[in-house]
Amino acid sequence: MLKKKLLGVLAGAACAFGAGSALADDIVVGSVAGVTGPIAELVAPIVAGRNLAVEHVNAQGGLLGGDTMVLVLADSQCDPKAGVDAGQKVVNVEQVVAVVGASCSGATNGMVQSVTIPSGVVAISDSATAPSITELEDNDLVFRVAPSDAYQGLALAQLARDAGFEKLAMTYANDDYNAGIAAVFEKSFQELGGTITGNQAHEPNKASYRSEVSTLSNGDPEGLAIFAYYGGSGITIIRNSLENGLFDKFLGADGMYDISVIEQIGADNLKDNIMVTQSASDDQDASYQAFADFYQESTGIDPSAPYAAHGYDAAFLVALAIEQAGAAERDKIAAALREVSNGEGTVIRPGEWEKAKAAIAAGEAINYEGASGVVDFDENGDVTGVFSVNTVGDDNNWTSKLLK
Amino acid sequence: MIEFINFHLIPGLVLGSIYALGAIGVTLTFGILRFANFAHGETMTLGVYFTLSLIILTGLHPLVVMPLAMALTTIVILGVDRVFYKPLRAAPTVVLVMASFGLMLMVRSAIQFTWGVQLTSLSTGIVKPYIFFDALRISPKHVMIIIATILLMLVVHFLLTRTRMGKAMRAMADSPELARLTGIDTEAVVRMTWIIGTCLATAAGVFLAIDTHVETLMGYKLLLPMFAAAILGGIGRPYGAVAGGLIIGVVEELSTYAWIGDGPLLNPGYKAGVAFAIMVVMLIWRPSGLFRGRVF
Repeated sequence: MLKKKLLGVLAGAACAFGAGSALADDIVVGSVAGVTGPIAELVAPIVAGRNLAVEHVNAQGGLLGGDTMVLVLADSQCDPKAGVDAGQKVVNVEQVVAVVGASCSGATNGMVQSVTIPSGVVAISDSATAPSITELEDNDLVFRVAPSDAYQGLALAQLARDAGFEKLAMTYANDDYNAGIAAVFEKSFQELGGTITGNQAHEPNKASYRSEVSTLSNGDPEGLAIFAYYGGSGITIIRNSLENGLFDKFLGADGMYDISVIEQIGADNLKDNIMVTQSASDDQDASYQAFADFYQESTGIDPSAPYAAHGYDAAFLVALAIEQAGAAERDKIAAALREVSNGEGTVIRPGEWEKAKAAIAAGEAINYEGASGVVDFDENGDVTGVFSVNTVGDDNNWTSKLLK
Repeated sequence: MIEFINFHLIPGLVLGSIYALGAIGVTLTFGILRFANFAHGETMTLGVYFTLSLIILTGLHPLVVMPLAMALTTIVILGVDRVFYKPLRAAPTVVLVMASFGLMLMVRSAIQFTWGVQLTSLSTGIVKPYIFFDALRISPKHVMIIIATILLMLVVHFLLTRTRMGKAMRAMADSPELARLTGIDTEAVVRMTWIIGTCLATAAGVFLAIDTHVETLMGYKLLLPMFAAAILGGIGRPYGAVAGGLIIGVVEELSTYAWIGDGPLLNPGYKAGVAFAIMVVMLIWRPSGLFRGRVF
């Protein structure tokens, strides 16, 4: 008797479950990020940005006929091999419609070349910035909302010249992102009339870089440009340089922008001595302000965190593309992604999912103006962007100034 | 010349000391328990995080709280041995290696879950080095690391040569079957192996953390040089591991010195390959290692 009752309950539950899923399905999107690894602290706010976009979508009617958008998180560890594994997991196991990510250029390169391009899945990265991603043979499947380092390297070189640096030594970690931006910086700095006294690759994650910085200090350079992830080798190089009195001025790009650099080295040692560029958002922009309010309120994290706005934009764009395509099908996403962001139609800003959904339903063209910028993709799936320069301020934290 | 000593030889010795301390544990487990313990790097990381917690709790110097951290890590590792390795004692080596690989991932995830993945350090700020004769620069922490390493190695030397347990361990490393036949309590030897290996791994990790910083992959990143050191010295030979660790540490740093011309001899980007190259050459030329260890 009891058994029969139990069976009845189970059958009832199964019916309820089946009926529920027939009405509103889950549409699964991959969220690949370097949750652990050398930039773990930077990735948490980016993932929070992605999740916020999905919250907005689901709270304002969901996708298509009321389906729920679900992000499946996979850890790419900022490493090409782990990026491939994470890509395999979301594309082949979870069968996602599209992928947001990965975080680092090396992981992104690995993931798109081995997994997403061969599988015909769109990947849209929010923080991979290496110039090499522009040149990928990607069948229009790789996009990014983070500007290429072809721009950032130039911006940093200009900044260094403006600050009066004539001779610089430089070193870069041997990976896609750092080697890419270092090459741009070297070329730009020389074209602007500067001299590079030494340029060396280094292997990240070593315990000591004393011999490297000692060799680099030959030739009287005025400072050291470090292209590295702060947790991989950046902090160790600054520490080894200062301890041995070899360098006291440092330049770097967004891989070095984290509070732990100041905490570990000590603010007094870095005040007036370090300049770090970062891809920034214009805080006067209406889209950014809308995003910043939502983000601050919902996560409690500072909305100017690197690439947090980009994370929001990447996830929101995927949602818009699915809505525009009218179906959660892999091969329709790329074309739809271009339609919703090509600069023509009703302007949609962060948080305006209901408005976007109504406009698409009415057959109107829409144009997403993102928190991170206008996000109009060029033929390579790249966007242009603005940068900020960051120095150590009186509050012992980074202070940002937008570069025009 | 003075640049050679300041920036190549001394950092090489410091790095070599850290490798050596870690390699002793690797070589003892390899020799006595007869498997390559992939989880040894994570043992190191765990020791460092216990030390970090104790420093936050008490505010004392890392070296003061290190013995307690060693004890805590040892308790965890002995528990792990009871639960994971003991049932597999008679299993083929490859099963144990795979078990240790799985354990490596579990311990690492547990550390990341408990302490988070943020990078941190045992002490912040910059300490300027002592300067002797206007040229020789030695950082206080390096003096401390080298002296502490020598003391620890003396303790291990004493344990291995002057105590019954040490003799039993060396007997087990030479020939486990013969040791068992002569009535040596093999389980006690296994326990002692874990205790020594874990304590030294904790010390190596803490020294590395004092020299650089604390993060969850720090032990794992040392795994390859530690294995290379153990193989170079000869499997099951603690003195070989010490020699191997020092050689690899010093050679890695010296490989980037400007021996010929102005540039570094080897591009520092490929420094990590040095330990690998030494290991491969050694396996081809003399598989039993410098101190004639076991060959599997």
